[in-house]
Amino acid sequence: MAIDRLAWRTLAARPLRSLLTVVGVALGVGVLAASLTLGAALDAAIDRTVSTMVGRADLRVSAFLEPGLSPEAIGTIVETPGVLEAAAVIERRTFLASVPGSPAPDAVTVLGVDPLTYPSLHDLPIAAGSGLTDPDEPVALITESLAESDGYGLGSRLSVLGPGGPLGVRVVGIVPGAGPLPQVGRTVILPIDTARAALAISGATRVDLLLEPGSAEAVLASLAARMAEPYVLASPADLARSLRASAAAFEGMAALVAAVVLFVGAFLIVNTLSMTVGERAREVGLLRAAGATRGQASRFVLSGALLLGVSGSLAGVLAGGVLAVLLAAGVSSATGLPAVVTPVDLRSAAIAAAVGVAVTVMAAIEPALRAAQISPVEALRARIDLPHISRGRLGWIGLVFIVVGGLALLAWPPSVAPAGGDVQAALAVYLVLLAATLLSPFLLRPLARLLGLPLAVFVAVEERLARGSVGRDRSRAALTLGSLVVGLAMIVALGWSAQAARASAFAWLDDVVPGDELISSIRPIAADEGIVETLAAVPGVERVTPIGTFGLAYRGQRVDAAAIVGADFLADGRLTVLAGERAAALRALDEGGAAILPSAAATALGLGLDDTMRVATGRDQFLDLRVVAIVERSLPGGGGEAVLVGWPDAAASLGVAGADAFAVRIAPAALEPTRDAVRRTAATFALESNPIERVQGAVAEALARVFGVFDALAFVAVIIAALGIVNTLTMGVVERVREIGVLRAIGMTRVQVMRMVVVESTVLGVVGVVLGGATGLAVGAVLLGLGARFDGATGLPWPALGAAAILGLVLPALAALYPSLLAARVSIVRALRFE
Amino acid sequence: MQPRASLALAPTLARPRTTDPENTSTAAPDGATMLPIIEAHEVTKRYQLGRTSVEALRGVTMAVEAGEFVALMGPSGSGKSTLLQLLGGLDRPTSGRVVFEGRDISRLSDSKATRLRRERTGFVFQAFNLIPLLSVEENIALPFAIGGQPGTRRDWNDRVRQVIELVELQGKERHRPDQLSQGEQQRVAVARALVTRPSVLLADEPTGNLDYTNSGELLDALWRSCQEEGQTIVLVTHDARAAAYADRVLVIGDGRISDEIVLGRRADHSAAPLIARLAQIGL
Repeated sequence: MAIDRLAWRTLAARPLRSLLTVVGVALGVGVLAASLTLGAALDAAIDRTVSTMVGRADLRVSAFLEPGLSPEAIGTIVETPGVLEAAAVIERRTFLASVPGSPAPDAVTVLGVDPLTYPSLHDLPIAAGSGLTDPDEPVALITESLAESDGYGLGSRLSVLGPGGPLGVRVVGIVPGAGPLPQVGRTVILPIDTARAALAISGATRVDLLLEPGSAEAVLASLAARMAEPYVLASPADLARSLRASAAAFEGMAALVAAVVLFVGAFLIVNTLSMTVGERAREVGLLRAAGATRGQASRFVLSGALLLGVSGSLAGVLAGGVLAVLLAAGVSSATGLPAVVTPVDLRSAAIAAAVGVAVTVMAAIEPALRAAQISPVEALRARIDLPHISRGRLGWIGLVFIVVGGLALLAWPPSVAPAGGDVQAALAVYLVLLAATLLSPFLLRPLARLLGLPLAVFVAVEERLARGSVGRDRSRAALTLGSLVVGLAMIVALGWSAQAARASAFAWLDDVVPGDELISSIRPIAADEGIVETLAAVPGVERVTPIGTFGLAYRGQRVDAAAIVGADFLADGRLTVLAGERAAALRALDEGGAAILPSAAATALGLGLDDTMRVATGRDQFLDLRVVAIVERSLPGGGGEAVLVGWPDAAASLGVAGADAFAVRIAPAALEPTRDAVRRTAATFALESNPIERVQGAVAEALARVFGVFDALAFVAVIIAALGIVNTLTMGVVERVREIGVLRAIGMTRVQVMRMVVVESTVLGVVGVVLGGATGLAVGAVLLGLGARFDGATGLPWPALGAAAILGLVLPALAALYPSLLAARVSIVRALRFE
Repeated sequence: MQPRASLALAPTLARPRTTDPENTSTAAPDGATMLPIIEAHEVTKRYQLGRTSVEALRGVTMAVEAGEFVALMGPSGSGKSTLLQLLGGLDRPTSGRVVFEGRDISRLSDSKATRLRRERTGFVFQAFNLIPLLSVEENIALPFAIGGQPGTRRDWNDRVRQVIELVELQGKERHRPDQLSQGEQQRVAVARALVTRPSVLLADEPTGNLDYTNSGELLDALWRSCQEEGQTIVLVTHDARAAAYADRVLVIGDGRISDEIVLGRRADHSAAPLIARLAQIGL
């Protein structure tokens, strides 16, 4: 206990350094805790969403084609042996009629439910008013979120727009929160027959089933044998898996960034404890001389580390809770899942704290072993030279970080692991960062010499002294510079990833959308509604291309598809053809029996040029589509790039009722006035028209929200690096008190002394920027190359490099403030007495 | 206060002088009056150590003439290093005045004191206090690099070479401190202190960490600078052999100057007469 108390008093004697280390541990643990808490919140959100969406159902049978399941198909499903309960549901997007003159409100989702069967499978709590009772009464329930955003209440009259004409209903009840479709929120729940009348649907879009226990296989077989229409089966597990897959990329990246922040935090810990041992070598030696065993000397260090680790981890858990709450909105926005974060998620907090303490203690093992090796004789010398400690430390750093990497893999989100590519990318990123860290001390001297030249022009002596000082302790430089390099590298890499994603999305839209304005509809608009002709008649409009998105049933899976007019794409010069003859292929689409595949889909489906793609159109009915071209990119579908087919096939064989988008090309000479005219015309059809730039802007905004979360986490790493710089510079000042005293004695002014420390920090910063930039590009290349999230790189990430440069120069300069003041305040007389 | 005794041991080279608290001007052998280069008038220095106040100097009055080699001797804790620090502008007296080249430096601002140290004084300490990452040449040229020195870079280089010769370190210009013996390191420190041609060289136990041979070489170098360049030197030492190089020895005890022993400028540096005198006064 005496040794422990001595260790704790040693920490208390260096309050600033101890505080910085605790803050470093806290930030590392905080980011890890936040990442785990957000992961847990996402998992909970997925479970909640699945439970809300599916309720007690064991199986969901959804329509594959646009018109939905027919009444006959519903009958077949309901009568399947093994089905205990069945609830047919309609789910469609539409608009509510607005007050004339006021702007059109956002779309709503109509959920048509049978008041008799729905409650047996789904809970539908009512916050105010009453529930539904009859399947055909003209009443509605609305969600609280819709009521709040659009100002509706009990008794309000709604006019639901649909092919069956506007249908008036009265609001009789309010459903709490976002209601039964949490990802949508703006939901109007109608009795099913009322919904059928409003939306002109005879059946339903899906049927939820409660099955007899153990009958699932038999039900599936029976459905396969008896269903005449194409359908899609989904179980709650499938839904959860699909939602987890959509959140996995985000969770994976968040976990990677958290591992990196922990990595940087560990630098600070190793550095601090090593400094403490170096500084306390004499005391350790004296303890040994007084009879302390090697074990006690090690305990002296480990005990201090444990205190730092526990304090930092506790603070980190609290910081993580705050960080998680702050980032929750960004996470919800990035994943589309309503993540509700509890500030203290016990499991996440426990894991993060345990990892924090473990990493701290692990980081302390090397300094502890070194402490044990200090001989009393060595310690009693006037000046203890411990270069062998520095050399040995570098190897240990490598080992510690390999173990940290292993721990990170163990803590890797389970939903991400099966993807494989993400884990590989994470490992590759980790190795690149480790390599950069271990190489940085060897590159420090030559780079400092080279990059210090401009500084030397203005502050020659300060630059010379500072340059020598930064390279004095190689392993300390590795840790200090390494953490800065890693932090800045993550800023650059994430910036590059964001830029590549944005550029890729922009290039994609430019390459595939044949228009300057994109008009979207939430319902299919049939060719005979005359919208194309009306829009084409607007002066200045060159071309109007209808686009209909839908799904193809190919080999039992759903493939995103889009119906297009080949001639329009040919005339507009869209699509980059990789294989096939462009003009012939686009003409073939309009003739029918042909498909154009994006290269990603061609690879995924194993299809090549001139292969036949046999898609299901009904029970034992198929349509053969010849692959006439493979293009670099295609129109975006629901989940990926769409297979392109011509309108004749889409309308006649694939059940596509109409277009849900129109691309309008405008003559360049009259772009702006024509745009206005197009928007006005679109508004008369209750359609929304957006310039393609706005669509790009929306994409950029969505990406910015996702990467904003990662940037915030990476910024924490840079902050930890800055703390490391404060620590190292302060230690440097303390170690060089006598030198500083001499410099002051021979005429160096306080300002020059301060400048020397700031220049030292600046040299570190400049070298950090160069190495961090280079490492960031390497990491970015790994993320772009292996992550497979972004199809195509872009130019160098100058904005991210610029941001890293600013951070790398400003933060070290700020970090140098305190140590430089400390150096300037050195009393010459005391310094010269200093031992 | 007045010194208790003044004993001229070698009148051939010595320039006898009197030290009067009211009038510290010095009477040269030819009878002309010379202004001292440094004077201390009733200087006290008190340190506050927690609740305890320690009085290191209790009213010291003394003077050093230009070109003179003065040694300050006394037991540990007598205040000799404190006095040296006050004379060189490293610290300020609690009361009294320190006059350097006719200017009161007792209340100089930090920047003015820095300038004084940079331009007019040179320091040598017991620990060699070289900057380990700089070469011998760079360490010696450091006061020039720090700035404020007149002359061109060529003048500086010439002067650096000159002092390297003076301390006999030719051929070791590019060595780092850790590649030198302790004696050589201390001679680098002396060269660094002399390079700016300071008015006064202040040396605090410069031989304290050196062996007999290295001490001798260092003291020879100091004496040569005094003899050949007219360098004023104030040396704090415990060592009678080192003090024997001085023209005059001021003995400090309990924060006051208790004795003055005038040795005169002598080429043989024999310590015997001084040791005898010190024994006489019980030091």
